[in-house]
Amino acid sequence: MQQVITLTVNGEEHSLAVKPNQTLRDVLRNDLGLTGTKRGCDVGACGACTVILDGEPVASCLLLAVLCHGKSVETIEGLEKNGKLHPVQKAFINHGAIQCGFCTPGMIVGAKALVDRNPDPSDDEIKEALGGNLCRCTGYTKIMEAIRNWKRYVDTDEPPVHDYDLDKHETVGRSMPRVDAYDKATGKAKYIEDYGFQNMLVGKILTSTIPHGIIKKIDTSQAEKLPGVAAVITGKDVPDRMYGVSPARYDEFVLAKDKVRYIGDEVAAVAAVDLETAEKALELIKVTYKQLPAVFNPADAVKNGAPQLHERYKNNINTRVNHHFGNVEQGFLEADHIREEVFVGNHVYQSPMEPHGAIAYWEGDGTLVLYSSTQVPHYLHYMMANVLDIPLGSIRIIRPTVGGGFGGKAETTPLDLCATILSKKTGRPVKMMYTRKEMFQHGRGRHKQYMKMKIGVKNDGQITAFDYTNYLDGGAYSSFGVITAYYAGSMLPTSYRFPNYKYDGYRVMTNKPACGAMRGHGVPQPRFALECLLNMLAEDIGVDPFEIRKINGMDPDTRTINDLDIRSCEFKATIDAVRKASGWDEKYGKLPPGKGIGLGTGGFVSGAGYAIYRGQVQQASQKPREHTFIKKAVFPHANAVVKVTEDGTAAVLFIGAAEIGQGSSTVLTQCCAEGLGIHPSRVRIRAEDSDISPIDLGAYSSRVTLMGGNASMRAGKDVLEKLLPIAAEMLNTVTGELEAKSGRIYVKSDPEKYADWAECARIYFNNNGPLVGTGWYKPPEGLGGDYKGAAVGTSPAYSFGSSVCELSVDLETGKVDIQKFTDYHDCGTPINPMAVHGQVEGAIVMGAGETIMEDVVYNSRGEIVNPNLHEYLIMTIKDAPEIFSGLVDSYEPEGPYGAKEIGEGSSLPVLGAVAHAIKNATGIWFTELPITPEKILKALKKKKAAVKE
Amino acid sequence: MGLTLPEIEIHEPENLKEACALLKKLGRNARILAGGTDLIVDLKEKRAKVSHLVSLAEIVDIDRIKKDGKALSIGAGATANRIAANSMVARFLPALVDACNSMASYHIRNLATIGGNIASAVPSADLPPILIVADAKVELQGPRGKRKVKLENFFKGPRRTDMKPGEVLTRIIIPAQPKKSGSSYHKFALRNATALAVAGVAARVEMEKGLIKKAAIALGAVAPTPKLAKRAAAALRKKKPSRELFEKAAAIAVRESKPISDIRGSAEYRRDIVEVLTRRALEDAVARARGKKRK
Repeated sequence: MQQVITLTVNGEEHSLAVKPNQTLRDVLRNDLGLTGTKRGCDVGACGACTVILDGEPVASCLLLAVLCHGKSVETIEGLEKNGKLHPVQKAFINHGAIQCGFCTPGMIVGAKALVDRNPDPSDDEIKEALGGNLCRCTGYTKIMEAIRNWKRYVDTDEPPVHDYDLDKHETVGRSMPRVDAYDKATGKAKYIEDYGFQNMLVGKILTSTIPHGIIKKIDTSQAEKLPGVAAVITGKDVPDRMYGVSPARYDEFVLAKDKVRYIGDEVAAVAAVDLETAEKALELIKVTYKQLPAVFNPADAVKNGAPQLHERYKNNINTRVNHHFGNVEQGFLEADHIREEVFVGNHVYQSPMEPHGAIAYWEGDGTLVLYSSTQVPHYLHYMMANVLDIPLGSIRIIRPTVGGGFGGKAETTPLDLCATILSKKTGRPVKMMYTRKEMFQHGRGRHKQYMKMKIGVKNDGQITAFDYTNYLDGGAYSSFGVITAYYAGSMLPTSYRFPNYKYDGYRVMTNKPACGAMRGHGVPQPRFALECLLNMLAEDIGVDPFEIRKINGMDPDTRTINDLDIRSCEFKATIDAVRKASGWDEKYGKLPPGKGIGLGTGGFVSGAGYAIYRGQVQQASQKPREHTFIKKAVFPHANAVVKVTEDGTAAVLFIGAAEIGQGSSTVLTQCCAEGLGIHPSRVRIRAEDSDISPIDLGAYSSRVTLMGGNASMRAGKDVLEKLLPIAAEMLNTVTGELEAKSGRIYVKSDPEKYADWAECARIYFNNNGPLVGTGWYKPPEGLGGDYKGAAVGTSPAYSFGSSVCELSVDLETGKVDIQKFTDYHDCGTPINPMAVHGQVEGAIVMGAGETIMEDVVYNSRGEIVNPNLHEYLIMTIKDAPEIFSGLVDSYEPEGPYGAKEIGEGSSLPVLGAVAHAIKNATGIWFTELPITPEKILKALKKKKAAVKE
Repeated sequence: MGLTLPEIEIHEPENLKEACALLKKLGRNARILAGGTDLIVDLKEKRAKVSHLVSLAEIVDIDRIKKDGKALSIGAGATANRIAANSMVARFLPALVDACNSMASYHIRNLATIGGNIASAVPSADLPPILIVADAKVELQGPRGKRKVKLENFFKGPRRTDMKPGEVLTRIIIPAQPKKSGSSYHKFALRNATALAVAGVAARVEMEKGLIKKAAIALGAVAPTPKLAKRAAAALRKKKPSRELFEKAAAIAVRESKPISDIRGSAEYRRDIVEVLTRRALEDAVARARGKKRK
């Protein structure tokens, strides 16, 4: 029964027929097409759907539309008036307060409502107003900055001059606002859920309700009979080919063929005319299981007689790494001090604000078009070709705006596969979206790791030996886990010199959602453990925690013990810089009880040295080409084409690099513009469509700035090369005398003599046809050692960083208040300093949350207890610390204009720094994550009791 | 896309009589809808299953905050933000403002109502403890008339109350607070916004000649219902406020709590928190009673 309501939306009155069970959010999005109001959680826990109702911000997902009759609604789309942005929108754009942009409309609407009622809010008032708007990218730092400064934008569009701008280049090195900031600030950016096609069906997946079992029977007959159901598929309708991430361990069927291995394993899927019908159909599918015993932690799973998840992984060991370098036994003999500790990590989930989704349809010529919220369009492309056994050429992948990934969208999802198969079966477009709970159940979050570490040092702190065993809780499938198990060992020797190093890693299968790659892939927990261990040891032997790091710290142009080639390295400079900037010497050991300061450091790859699959692209049905691993990048990892418009006024950069919020489109635009010699405002980037842009491997291993940046820069330079002869002729000189900048090609010795860039480009087109340049990047050949697994950890370059955390602990409740972070990084020479700091701030807040509050909790059946944003706690704006982010001078010759990564490495120093500061505040080391108030209080009570005795 | 709501029929009665009649008729098939911040979530997550919702939004004055003789009357439909911004409330019972501001987040508080926070009877609700120590009553309108129930007697278990079929919670009546009295609400949660209480403690003290004449302590999230810690309060009578005294009372309050273990904290931890919060709430309440500003 529909009811007609009157709703004034952004000043326009609408008469709408709505159903009683429609929320205001759904009416705005679906009936009025105002998709700037986002669906993040459905339950009022994230703030992405915030709109202003009769002057006050509300969560529109909790409001029934019929009850809004006669009311006035203001959405993000209404803030821009007569082509002029609201000052808050301008402030968000100019201060870098936007990354993935998914929380942005709700955040801006909430901030607008705040300044309407209080034009001069204090910091506390800002935080109070936005406590319900979660952001996973920015760490809230620049959001605070934007709102503090909103009044500056009332009558001006003037962007601020950032004091961290280097002013070396007009393009590269400048904190220009994101190229997609305007779309994101106005709600115009279209994410996967914002797309729809004619005659489109909605798909849903039925998942296992038991943690381990055999499927005896699936009865879909009732579901098929339900009016509105277009197709039902089960294991028998999907290819026999398995998929996954690491080619050696493809172990997932699109839908279970025989066995289910965790609560959430995919069993069947339906496509129906609408979501309600699809959900009803799922309820009508009857699955009969034979339950099998299940196992939920690695210690039990490796025991003889434990339930086996996969036949091929004996004792449930999915990956075994035994990396032994030097002679550890000898090293310990040489040590003056030895300390051994056990550390336990936590199950952390990426929780991007945007839920995963996919839309698939098939064109008449047999081309599959797949829209997906992915951070790896190419691997998705490759995997779809593999599973469906069709050529890459028959698939077109479109990546709409992506609302954050952090590794959680770094692989092909059941949504991609099921939507594709359902679309094939029905001949209609099929759209599938995860709910927040389904995201958690799909998993692919951080592996919980059980780490035993032993370290030996000389009296002065010099490391002599390191021995480390790690059990990684992998969940039910391989996902990225093979690589995770390797990274967990290979990434520690990048920042310290270990003369003898032993790593034994075991990734173990358990009946839980598969774990995968998350920001800092495999490394944050081992890094937390190592940083704690170093700090413990420094205390033991009375060496300053900074000194012990400098004594063992990495130097430039060094080959590590595990055969990684470090080129630029300003690790020690970051250590000195945070010491000074944080006022460490005035604080450490001098703070009252309950106050603490701590140090952590880290280092990470700037892009994986080798692609995930080794060979060249091939059809799955072809016999795999013989390909023994050679230390050679078989194909270029990043590829760019630049096409200049025929009038020469603009250039379009085509590169398949996945912008997921991290800022790659902006950075690549800057690199390209610098190569071209024109202002970045004249360069547009097209990165969404595999039909248009050449391959880039995607947003993982912190690779895009270095690899995509090189490709984009080279494509730009390739164009410029073609223009120089024309300019030389016009200026009566030779090409070697020329340089380009700001749209001018000028004589180096006499810059006043110049030719107009656009004019040269126009002449080129008139004489030669399309002006196009190409560029590509292959990592250097021969990276890494000759042992098994040597490839994981190789990279063209490595980043380094150090963080100091200051916090207070309520000694009566155990609650931690993280107050301040000071961070210095060596990310090479930054392309866009504002974007770099944004990454650091986001990583600090994410890492700090991981350390003290984030944890996916399972019950005794292997079911997630907290698959929502109410109980899976990520930091709110009221929890986030104040952050100072600084950069040390550095130049990486392999990077574009000297740049290296920042996005993942910046998360690594955080966990150890927090743990150290908690130790400093409480006198107690905590070795299990997350360090919750309850754990802290329990330990404090225990300590107190021990003192009394 | 996302979570769907079941098919429902919405009723928007324009007066209480109509509302009561509807509720009586629909019985278990209906729930009262106020702000919806709890109920809509339960419907989406299929924890609540009803086919009718009776909205109170059209009922005149259901959200009115007014003086009622010497008492303060807060309409059940008043949102947490409206209550927190109301100057009468701020003068009358400033701790209620604190409790309102501790709830969820700003944009949820624009929807969440005091009536819903009480009638949902979620053990961790933030408003009942402070209202209980303030001696508040709720007014219930049924098909056969009105009745008033002391809030401390209103809760019967998790999500269970004294409300009879056909009854609507219409307003909360807070009597004039005794002279030289002060109240406070302390909440402990695992993050600083959008978080349910691990425990919450409200306290009220009445001072006389430097001694505590009378006290009340109510505990939230540590028993099946919000709960008065009567023995703890009794231990404060005629005593001079001191840290030792408050610690003693806090230890008694712990024994009066009946917490469970869940994802937010173990029973043992909750007892520790109750002890700390009780002492802090008492310290604050005394400071307020003495007319001192809170820290």
